[in-house]
Amino acid sequence: MYDSIIIGSSAAGLSAAIYLKRRGINFLLLGKDIGGEMAIAGEVDNYPGISHTNGLELTEKFKEQAKQYEIEPKAINVTEITKINGGFVVSGTNTENHAFEEKTKSIIIASGSKPKKLKIPGEKEYYHKGISYCSVCDGPIFKGKPVAIIGGGNSALESGLMMAELCPKVFVLTKNAEMKGDEILIKELAKKENVEIIKMAFTQEIFGEEFTKGLKYLNQNTNEIKEILVDGVFVHIGMSPNTDFVPDNWNIKNKIGEIITDKLGKTDIPGIFAAGDCSDIIYKQIAIAVGQGTIASLSAISYLNSLEK
Amino acid sequence: MKKAIIYVTTYCPYCHMAKEYLIKKGVVLEEKNVETDLKARDEMIQKSGQMGVPVLDIEGKIIVGFSQEEIEKALEE
Repeated sequence: MYDSIIIGSSAAGLSAAIYLKRRGINFLLLGKDIGGEMAIAGEVDNYPGISHTNGLELTEKFKEQAKQYEIEPKAINVTEITKINGGFVVSGTNTENHAFEEKTKSIIIASGSKPKKLKIPGEKEYYHKGISYCSVCDGPIFKGKPVAIIGGGNSALESGLMMAELCPKVFVLTKNAEMKGDEILIKELAKKENVEIIKMAFTQEIFGEEFTKGLKYLNQNTNEIKEILVDGVFVHIGMSPNTDFVPDNWNIKNKIGEIITDKLGKTDIPGIFAAGDCSDIIYKQIAIAVGQGTIASLSAISYLNSLEK
Repeated sequence: MKKAIIYVTTYCPYCHMAKEYLIKKGVVLEEKNVETDLKARDEMIQKSGQMGVPVLDIEGKIIVGFSQEEIEKALEE
């Protein structure tokens, strides 16, 4: 039986792993690769100690540090966690679809989040045929073409700034009366002459033929349905936590599926800890995930010590 | 030894992961950056029928996205 299993190998999971490794804890780190959502973060200028970087570069630095500690994540897709006498069982599948199952005394859930979907007509049909949830990945493919960004927060602002450099026309649609997010990004985007911010806009449908041709939105002010013609649509409307494997009857998830933790990263179930974007922390930031991973690992160490007494 | 073409953009993390994985598997890799090479962009869209990266062409088998499982299958064929 392992002392601990960390589920997720991005910012929170990796910082937890470094602390567990330094304390000589017998643990497993599960995740497809180091990086997760951090890797597709685009420009990162707010991570203390590094003035200017991007998600990919920062991920590379995390990887280097993991290597230094001989930490290698196991590529496992976790599908279930269950309670047993004296601990828990973590189950899932590996990349060859073979069953995986390990016992552990504690679990640190750091499974991150995935982009939220619009759930409107055309979204599934035109996924990767004009619709993308990753501007950093697919944005450059739309160089020279008009595009729309849907969302009102930092990710949408960053996507807007990136696409403004590549495209002749960029529409940014937000359902809010104003863009929300870092003031510096809002001001920067407002300066771009080829960017048009459409407020109070509820996207209704994405249409096209073989590929996306445009979208329809409801103007909440005038109650009119309007249409814009674009080749690409980038959706940045927030994230939803990757916590389906956590049983609902454990009652440690909130309404949107985030793991409820106290300030020490503990849940209501002794031995279960959570950190990063899958937790109910309001602010989802790389620096916060790193700190939460650290707290959760120290709490897990304290829990393991208490078991030995 | 298997040969593959990988279509990428410069900062796409999944492209880097796929590339690293194929190199680890000993695949002889030709990289095409669809950000700078418009001919390669059209070729990728024509081959895969879509506009997301990475796209892998492993000796005719087209894989969209980074999936270790699908890469393994294509390498076994």
